Amino acid sequence: MTTPRGRTALAAQAEALGHVVPFRCLLGVLGTLLLLTWVTVGATHLDLGVWNLWLALGIAALKSSLVALYFMHLRWDSRLNAIFFVGAVLFVVLFLGLALMDSVHYRPERLPGYVPGLPQMAEARA
Amino acid sequence: MRGAALPALTWLPPQASTVAAEVDRVLYVVLGISAFFLLLVTVLGAIFVWRYRERRQPQPGAAPSGNLPLEIAWTVVPLLLVVWIFWVGFEVFVDMATPPRDAYEILVTGQKWTWLFTYPNGYVDQNLHVPADRTVRLVMSSEDVIHSFFVPDFRVKQDVIPGRYTKLWFVAPQPGEHQVFCAEYCGTSHSDMLAKVVVHRPEDFDAWLREASDFLNRMGPAEAGALLFRTRGCAQCHSVDGTPGTGPSLAGIFGHAQRLADGTTVVADEDYLRESLLEPTAKVVAGYEPVMPTYRGRLNDREITALVEYLKTLGGSR
Amino acid sequence: MSGPAGVVRPAEVARPQRHYLNETPGLRAWLFTLDHKRIGVLYLVSLVVSFALGGVFAILLRTELWTPGPTIMSADAYNQAFTLHGAIMIFLFIIPGIPAALGNFALPLMIGARDVAFPRLNLASWWLYVLGASLAVGAIVLGGVDTGWTFYTPYSISTGTQVVLITLGAFILGFSSIFTGLNFLVTVHKLRAPGMGFFDLPLFVWALYATGLIQILATPVLGITLLLLIAERTLGIGIFDPALGGDPVLFQHFFWFYSHPAVYIMILPAMGVESELISTFSRKHIFGYKFVAFSSVAIALFGFLVWGHHMFVAGQSALASTIFSALTFSVGIPSAIKVFNWLATMYRGSIRLRTPMLYGLSFLFLFTIGGLTGLFLGALAADVHLHDTYFVVAHFHYTMMGGVVMAFLGGLHYWWPKMFGRMYDERMGRGAWLLLFLGFNLTFFTQFILGSLGMPRRYYNYLEVFRPYHRASTVGAYLMAAAFVWIAFYLLQALWRGREAPANPWGAGSFEWQTSSPPPVDNFRDLPEVRDPYDLTAWVYDDAAGGYVRREART
Repeated sequence: MTTPRGRTALAAQAEALGHVVPFRCLLGVLGTLLLLTWVTVGATHLDLGVWNLWLALGIAALKSSLVALYFMHLRWDSRLNAIFFVGAVLFVVLFLGLALMDSVHYRPERLPGYVPGLPQMAEARA
Repeated sequence: MRGAALPALTWLPPQASTVAAEVDRVLYVVLGISAFFLLLVTVLGAIFVWRYRERRQPQPGAAPSGNLPLEIAWTVVPLLLVVWIFWVGFEVFVDMATPPRDAYEILVTGQKWTWLFTYPNGYVDQNLHVPADRTVRLVMSSEDVIHSFFVPDFRVKQDVIPGRYTKLWFVAPQPGEHQVFCAEYCGTSHSDMLAKVVVHRPEDFDAWLREASDFLNRMGPAEAGALLFRTRGCAQCHSVDGTPGTGPSLAGIFGHAQRLADGTTVVADEDYLRESLLEPTAKVVAGYEPVMPTYRGRLNDREITALVEYLKTLGGSR
Repeated sequence: MSGPAGVVRPAEVARPQRHYLNETPGLRAWLFTLDHKRIGVLYLVSLVVSFALGGVFAILLRTELWTPGPTIMSADAYNQAFTLHGAIMIFLFIIPGIPAALGNFALPLMIGARDVAFPRLNLASWWLYVLGASLAVGAIVLGGVDTGWTFYTPYSISTGTQVVLITLGAFILGFSSIFTGLNFLVTVHKLRAPGMGFFDLPLFVWALYATGLIQILATPVLGITLLLLIAERTLGIGIFDPALGGDPVLFQHFFWFYSHPAVYIMILPAMGVESELISTFSRKHIFGYKFVAFSSVAIALFGFLVWGHHMFVAGQSALASTIFSALTFSVGIPSAIKVFNWLATMYRGSIRLRTPMLYGLSFLFLFTIGGLTGLFLGALAADVHLHDTYFVVAHFHYTMMGGVVMAFLGGLHYWWPKMFGRMYDERMGRGAWLLLFLGFNLTFFTQFILGSLGMPRRYYNYLEVFRPYHRASTVGAYLMAAAFVWIAFYLLQALWRGREAPANPWGAGSFEWQTSSPPPVDNFRDLPEVRDPYDLTAWVYDDAAGGYVRREART
């Protein structure tokens, strides 16, 4: 007796590739992305202090989410892939968060205008 | 290389600072816990291998393949123990990281491959001399790559970083001599980047510093100049054996003609050498960048004379 | 058609005339094969070559340390030798190590798949390995590297040695590692045998799955870091070099964000092998399957939170050091869980001290020492004294060599009959193991003492008081070298002279033992029935087959 085979990898793959996003939807996303690009450029003309950076980063995050959700089909894909995707982003946040947290803490100890080969601190004290 | 500071065959180096006993307490706590678990795993493993060996037990006995209370036990007990280990390690570390006020401050410079210790009066030594029973605070920086200041007898270690200062403190209760190592790999002579900590009796320290700082009177000018050459950063850029560095080599410089960047030539006499210390960018040797800082205000007249006398003694081809 | 479902008769798994080793002959067929088993063998051969090269550097180092000061080489040559020993052993042997050689061979077999999900990616991974290794060897030929395998800035920016070439090699090896990890993750998700759930997987597969997670999450950061280093060296962009306005401590954060999880890339597969060995050779169901399985995933995830424990005295802020110290201990718990579950597995078993089990037991002992000495280094104040001394060197050799290499050898001896269809000489196996075990402890236990006495690592010269310890360590290294030559000898001898291996020489329950030794090109003639892989009572020794067969199939 032969053991019954389940779906092969190929069949599963074909199924996933078979999903088609309506052209109008893709066009809409493209339009939104272009609009957001324009907003990013426009935002540089406003002076919001440190918030300029966060605004630009926020728009960039929104745009990349749109690309991942629609162009990369994550919206219609299995929940597991979304978990993996979000998980990976969390690890980036963890990495940069902890490293920068430390960097901010030791920043006061840095000597401005360091040149190799010169006695820095003796200079500072004199 | 011979060193007498570390006695052989004791498990840990002597406790020569106030914090050493504290650190050793942490080490012994962890050692006790580790020894217990290693013994547990080894003895149980050995008993199982012996009792349940194939010849004695050809077929496995009945035993469960899981037990929740047991799993919880060997999760929770180690968890409590590591929380304890974290805590004892943390307590002592916080103590080590916060120097007491009113410390005697010495600047430490790490450079390939020596340590320089600058005292409050500006005197620079290649060994660290400290008074016993007084808080000493080291403010450290590097001139090239990362080094690490490590005194095993004190149980202290701190990386020394270019472009930044780091701090370390200790109290050495007893007079004595201790080994300093560089613990962060820094190139060719990393393992020879050594120094001594000399702990003086409190009443002797000031006398030592006075005498050591008085080297211009104690030594001949050329000898004093050689010391200044090593301790004031000259050797960082100028070799005395002919190899070019950031600056030209000073081997056999005295009395020889130097070709300058502007195409003219000058003979390296006393005036030229003195001018090069005070106005380094005025006459730059051809092929080198005008990057040397002025030593005006950082060397007094006698020190400059001593340095020039030392440079006169340098022979060799260029 | 064969008998009832799942019954594997000895005749069916008898050594076939044609199998994956001889199906398509010729060098070309091997170098461009898409067969996961052949790629596993290709990896095995390349890894052994790398290990031998790294081993030669190790022997040179230990010989140099026979006396303080110059013994056989200059200080610069010594600095290059320890850099290359570290870089080769880590990037070319121990990171790819178990997953790429043993995992590639065993994983698809263990889950009842014909191959991995992306066979071409798998081959590309091996070719990238070869390319990366060639760049590393090129760096050696063109003058070597003297930064230490950690490439700390600003030293790595100012040194005149071949830093760019070797970091480029490590960058490419990173992609090789990502490809393997990605492939395994998708394979485990998509290609399990019908009816095989995650909790029917052998624990080696769980371990490889957890390893794959780290490989794809952490390795890109190594790539970024090394590219930044290359950009800084070649273009003078200031990132890590203070002379250019950069921050050297930031490099250490970037580097260890990969390189600490990387130690779990190394040890997790070893733990997976250990679970197979302990269960099989105790003839017992693994104790606490789910705890062992989930502890692998826990180690993979916690492993990302602890990198700062390499930087307690490196100029990291006290706050960050405290956070990282606390988090570091979290990794100890799942490791302890595994050790206790392995011990409990042995309880009331019928323990067979075959060569793979000897390696399994030595893993248990040596990894316990390696793990416990990690507690010293995770405790803040204790680490201040021990950091960058031989204590650290001893600690990571106990985990990496006593742990990973012992498990690699255990796994190699375990799967060798399956890979090549031949049994090795058991007595020689045990002899070489004993020599290796003794040599290992002589080499590295002395280094714990050296380190706690204050002997810094990466030292060419040393104080006279350290000499006896260094001598003992060097003698131990020679013993280990002899043991490795011995192992290579009898394993190769087995290929020509070894007894033909049965399908299931050890009585293990996972799928790979239910096909012939060596397996056919497409792995299984008939897919075995999915059962608990650790239910070993169903397997009994059969004299006619010379190995284990299912109880009901016994004639």
